[in-house]
This record gives sequence, C-alpha cells and structure tokens, in this order.
Amino acid sequence: MKPVNKLIQQDGAIQDRAIFWDEDIYQKEMEEIFARCWLFLTHESIIPDEGDYQSTMMGEDSVVVARQKDGSIKAFVNSCTHRGNAVCFSDGGNAKSFTCPYHGWVFGMDGNLVDVPLEKQAYHNEIDKDALHLKKIRVESYKGFVFGTFDDEAPSLKDYLGGMAWYMDSFMDVPGGCELIGPPMKSILDCNWKNPTENFIGDGYHVGWAHASALEIAGGPLAIAKGNAVYDAETSGLQVTVPEGHGFGVIWEGAAALHGGPVFEAYQKWLDDRSPLIREKMGEHREKFYRGHWDAAIFPNCSFLYGTNTFKMWQPRGPHSIEVLTWTLVEKEMPDQLKQMIHTDNMLTFGTAGILESDDGENMEQCTQTNRGYSTRQGTLYLGMGKGHEYLDPELPGLVSKGWVNEAPQRGMYRRWAEFMEGKPWSELSTTAQLEQKKVGG
Amino acid sequence: MHNTEAKERVSSELHYELSQHYYQEATLLQNGEFNTWIETFVAKDLHYWMPVTERRYSKDKRPEPTPYDMAIYNDDYDEVKDRVARLLTGAVWMEDPRSTVRYLITNIEAFHTDKDDEFVVRSNFVVYRHRGQLEHSEHVGCRQDLIRKVGNGFQLARRKVSLDARVTEDKNLYIFF
Repeated sequence: MKPVNKLIQQDGAIQDRAIFWDEDIYQKEMEEIFARCWLFLTHESIIPDEGDYQSTMMGEDSVVVARQKDGSIKAFVNSCTHRGNAVCFSDGGNAKSFTCPYHGWVFGMDGNLVDVPLEKQAYHNEIDKDALHLKKIRVESYKGFVFGTFDDEAPSLKDYLGGMAWYMDSFMDVPGGCELIGPPMKSILDCNWKNPTENFIGDGYHVGWAHASALEIAGGPLAIAKGNAVYDAETSGLQVTVPEGHGFGVIWEGAAALHGGPVFEAYQKWLDDRSPLIREKMGEHREKFYRGHWDAAIFPNCSFLYGTNTFKMWQPRGPHSIEVLTWTLVEKEMPDQLKQMIHTDNMLTFGTAGILESDDGENMEQCTQTNRGYSTRQGTLYLGMGKGHEYLDPELPGLVSKGWVNEAPQRGMYRRWAEFMEGKPWSELSTTAQLEQKKVGG
Repeated sequence: MHNTEAKERVSSELHYELSQHYYQEATLLQNGEFNTWIETFVAKDLHYWMPVTERRYSKDKRPEPTPYDMAIYNDDYDEVKDRVARLLTGAVWMEDPRSTVRYLITNIEAFHTDKDDEFVVRSNFVVYRHRGQLEHSEHVGCRQDLIRKVGNGFQLARRKVSLDARVTEDKNLYIFF
C-alpha cells in the first residue's frame, strides 16, 4: 500500500484512484475503519420488544442485534464459537435463543452459550460455557439510532458523531423522535463503498445533470434544479463538514421539495405546523435545518436524505462491490397517512427501482470499474470545488461553505479517512471540540 | 384486491388468448414500446406491486407484507406512467445506448373469478437484462395478476410480482415485470 499521504493529498482534494480498487487498501480499511468506527445497526423502533432481533452486517462481519429482557440492546457476531457456523439465518424476528444448525449449541439473546447437546455424556461437564459466548459488540443508541463498534477504545457514540449530532438533532430530536420503516430493500451495486458515501455526503453538483430525467418527472419544487438551470451559490443552502468525517449539504426550505402534488402539500403543512416547536426547543438555526432538504453521510457507510427521507447503508463486499440497504425515515408523531405517503414516495424515488436512485447506479459502478485499467489507476481524482471557501461560523459546528454545490464535505470525509488509515489512536484524531476552541480563539 | 379468489380454470380457448396477450405484452416491453403498453395493456385502476419479503423462520407467525409495507414497486397507474415518461425524456443516461431485456414467461395458469370479465392469472418469469459490453443480470419470480377483458383484448388491473431473490443482484430494478 502506498503511504496515506500519497493516497490523499491537498487536504482531501486529491485522491489516488487506488483507494477505489486496491485489495490491500480495502483490507486496511476493514482493520482501521470498519473494525474501529461506530457502524449503523438498526433503529430501536424496529426491535421494540424483548427478544426482537435483526441480522445485519458490520463491514463484512455478520452480526445480530437484539432487544434484551431489561430493555437494553446487545449485539454479537453471528458465528458459533464451536466450528464457526452462522447461528442466525433469518432477516429478523423474535426469539428466546439461537441454535446453531451444525451441532446444536444454543446461544441466548445476549450471545451467551446456554446449552450444548451431550454436555454431561460427551463433554463430561468440563466445557467452560462462560468462555464460549459469541463475540460481543459494543452498542449505543443516539436518539433511537443504534450503532455498534468492535473497538473498546472508541469514544462514546455521541462524541463519535461530534458536530453532526447537533445538526441531526434538528430532526432526530423532534418531539417523539424519528423511526425507520423496514424491512430494508437490499441490492448489489458493483462499486466501492466510498463512491455512494461521497455522493450522499456532499454531491449537490450531480443532481441537476444525473437526475435530469427524474427531476422532469418528479415535478416538485426541486425540479428547477434540472439541467443546472437555476442555482444561487450565496442563498440556496449550505454544506457542512465536521472533523469526525460526517457531513451534509442542505437546500433551504427544500425538505418536502422532491415530493410532488398532495404529498408535498401534506408534508409541507406538517413542517410548517411543527416549525415553531423546533424553534422553541432548539433555536432558529435548527428550525431552518429542519425545513431544509439534506444529503448526508455518517462516516463511514451510512447515508440519508432528510426530507426525501431515504435512509441507506452501504455494506462493503470487497473493494468493488457493496450491498445497498434502504429504509424510510419518518417522524414518529406524524399521522399514519403522512408516514405512508412519505414511505411510498421514498420507494418510488430512492428504492431499488427508484426513479432517481436508478440514475446513480451506473455512475457509482463506473467510477469504480474504470480503475480496473492499470494505466487509468495510476491517475488521481479531483474534489477541489470550492476549496478555500470554507469558513468557521461562530454559531454552527464544523466547517461551513455557502451553497449546496461544492465539495467540502467530500474533502472532509477523505481527511477523516486518511486519519484512520494512518492508524492514529482515538486521542490523536481530530474533533469538533478542537474546532470550537479555534472559534473562541479567533 | 390482490386476494381476489381464483375459481375454476379457464377453457383452453381462453387460456390460449390470455397466453397470447402475455407474449404480446413481453414483446412490447422488450421493444421499448412502453407508451403502447401503458395506454392499451394497463387499466387505469392499476395497482402494480412488488413487495419486499424478508427471510423468516417458519415459526415466525407475522403476516405477509401488505401494500402498506416496504415494496420495490407500490404504484398506481399515474406512478407507472411517470416511470414510463422518465424513460422517454431522452435524459436517462444509463439507457443510452439502450440495454436489452428479454422475458421468458411460463407456467401460465388462468382462473375465473366472481366477475365474468376478470381473471386471475399466475405466471413464472425469467427476465434477462444485458447492458454495455459484458453486464448482465437475471431476475426470477412469479406474478399474480388480475386481468380484465376489454373489447377484443385484455388489460392489467393488478399485478403482484414476487421475486425469488432476497437481495437484488442488479444495480436497479427499473424493469417492468
């Protein structure tokens, strides 16, 4: 592997193409990023009752996340400690235990080994069941969104989210909070996991061109972006990157803008009715973010569009393939009918057959697959749009840029990627708190 | 409407007519004649549905997905029409050059319903898609339709598409099944 300072240069603006292709870089990502970061698991609303569980992935590790008797949530690796077989084969459900189909070892919902066949006759009661639990995963929730990490040294989930948490509160911390509607759609995309992450974290640029066909059809207020005909860099929105690697772009007043007709009207009315509550609870800034449309990513592989309300996870499957999981994000206190309208629109626009999402698949895949060529792969890629125009805003966390078309969040993502890939301990990784000090110090 | 009860099997003559209708439909879709399809082969009260079905243990007694649950398609007539219109905007970059799609429709079983002019028709499909130089995918599943006799032909009023694969091995499912 090339040194990290060759892979990412100019403060994130230049990337070596090898980061989308090379197997040794990918394996290093598994070790330095996916085995260390907080990774999205599920939402508490999906596993509300004792024994409810979901199977999912953390990197390429199969895991199970389950609601415990005491109401807490635990997660463990889905691999028997006897000969390594998987112990859970369903997408989710409700269970009291999992029995490995190979030799019948039984694990509790906390991952502990509770029973083995022929314990007395064949093991002579000498098996140390306490030592043979499934590998346990650290779990924490933020406003109902459940994450796990393999790294005991990792900071709390809230500190990991850093400045992004302050922004996400504008919709995650509404009265009643948010929930996800599943089960997720799942599909395979032959791209590197970073391609869609960088697309969601800050790529306002592609919208007018890549989605020209869909914008013409969708008909909501965002349709004006078609063909880049209308864009005001000063007033249209903001891009934000926080040192923790997360980021987003926001289009002011755009939350409902991709929804057409009656859905737009119903959702806009909901936003209007709700806004005073947000302002009262979290201030004018957050009210403005609450009413905006976001494209966003939580580093490394979780993305969402707030407003359109698609919620995605990009599961790596080697350097050149991912599994895409898609849920719908809604506010818990929305009337069922509005939830259903938003859910239906999400399926229509950003699902597996989505009229917008279908435009992107080809771009994602080819951005990876062209690097198959040895000579192509020797080149670099450019994310310099708006570089040097980021600024510190005394009232907002992170680094801010004007307009929703620039590449500051992508640069932030690659700065963070480089920090992890250098193998820095958590104590040496950049934090929002450091930036906040800078603001105070001028 | 998706649980319209299938009664006795249709006559061989009607079965032949319905089979021909299905082959014609496949031909239109293969040839990219989406406007003709939506305007003549599809009823205005269409519900076009492809639910997401989880892998669950057999002891799991939760109900089957309904049209309120997660689905890859959950469209009324206007939504399918929008999907068709998008394909015809000239700005769908991944469809230029066009991909080829081939439909193999088999196991057509047709049944009468309570209504004289409506039939429940089940069929299996394999859909092959090829794009660019080497890209290809295949999708296998079955359809349960409510088909209505209209004039000399038939129109699709309900379609439930059940995919066999839990994880779609394709970049999208922007294909009419």
